[in-house]
Amino acid sequence: MALSRKVGLLAGAKYKGGGPMLAWALHRISGLGIILFVTLHVIASFLTQQMGSDLGISINIFYESIYFQLFIVFCAIFHGVNGFRIIVLDIWPRLIRYQKESTWLEWFVILPLYLLTAFIMIRRFLAG
Amino acid sequence: MQVTLKIFRYNPEEDRKKHYDTFTLEAEPTDRVLDLLERIKGNQDGTLGFRRACAHGVCGSDAIRINGVNRLACKVLVQDLKTRQVVIEPILGLPVEKDLIVDMEPFFDHYRSVMPYFVNDDPPPAKERLQSPEERERFDDTTKCILCAACTTSCPSFWVNGKYVGPSAIVNAHRFIFDSRDQAAAERLEILNEQFGVYRCHTIFNCTDACPRDIQVTQAIGEIKKALAKGSLD
Ligand code: SF4
Ligand code: FES
Repeated sequence: MALSRKVGLLAGAKYKGGGPMLAWALHRISGLGIILFVTLHVIASFLTQQMGSDLGISINIFYESIYFQLFIVFCAIFHGVNGFRIIVLDIWPRLIRYQKESTWLEWFVILPLYLLTAFIMIRRFLAG
Repeated sequence: MQVTLKIFRYNPEEDRKKHYDTFTLEAEPTDRVLDLLERIKGNQDGTLGFRRACAHGVCGSDAIRINGVNRLACKVLVQDLKTRQVVIEPILGLPVEKDLIVDMEPFFDHYRSVMPYFVNDDPPPAKERLQSPEERERFDDTTKCILCAACTTSCPSFWVNGKYVGPSAIVNAHRFIFDSRDQAAAERLEILNEQFGVYRCHTIFNCTDACPRDIQVTQAIGEIKKALAKGSLD
């Protein structure tokens, strides 16, 4: 009998697709990160305002922590810039042949933007 | 130089699971990976299963994963690998029948589903159906496909759901959709507008990188998406 066609997460992740495949994977991960943030925010607000529960405050403390905020800022910046890149390629398919270059270009936008934001956030955090 | 090949093995008559066998052999930098497989089969293990026919990048039968990426075994030289440790595995997303041989039938089913043939019900002219060089150029890139499946089996969307028609079928639809002499573009576009058509493509780009014919696969898919969105082929 033939082996199943199923491709496990590990086998798929080991495929050497390079920068564009990484961008695709990060787009999904950052999208999930944003959903997680919004969900936590809604749950925390509901629990605190409607039920006066301490759990809401705990969730609030978690997603407002510097670590989570640094993660979510990366998610938002990456998702936005990569999404813009995909929209541009969808509108002008002839540019798709420069997809690899466009992936490099987006990192030139994302990294300075993120590092600068992270720097300001960490400085404020350290200053208390 | 000495090269070590770690090869994916599965014999449906003996094995319940896959395993890997390692072979070491002498190779020239200009040997192709296919030459190494032939030599292993000839001198070390006659039971090794893999497909090949033309050995010159024309028939498309020897698409495999070489060091984690889809390639034709007959088009990759040892010197291109930049390592002496080579991992050889079957392409992903199709059932493995034996060693490096996969069942290509699901792939060809998708190919057949997009009407990959010329449709024109007008009575044939006395000579050929004429077309300007510009009209011919419009679909030139997608005429080059050799149906090797390297693109479709490099696509995470296809790995996740085998119902996705896949890049190769879309490339072959593109070849006729943008042919000025063909009359079935609307039908093909309708097929590709379905749930498992072009919108399963998330511009991951593995297909274009994997294509041994250097076809701009993702661009062809993008052009069809745009034609669907605009409702015209211009
Ligand atoms: S488009 Fe390229 S990779 Fe895909 S089947 Fe055709 S030749 Fe192979
Ligand atoms: S054997 Fe024909 S393409 Fe490689």
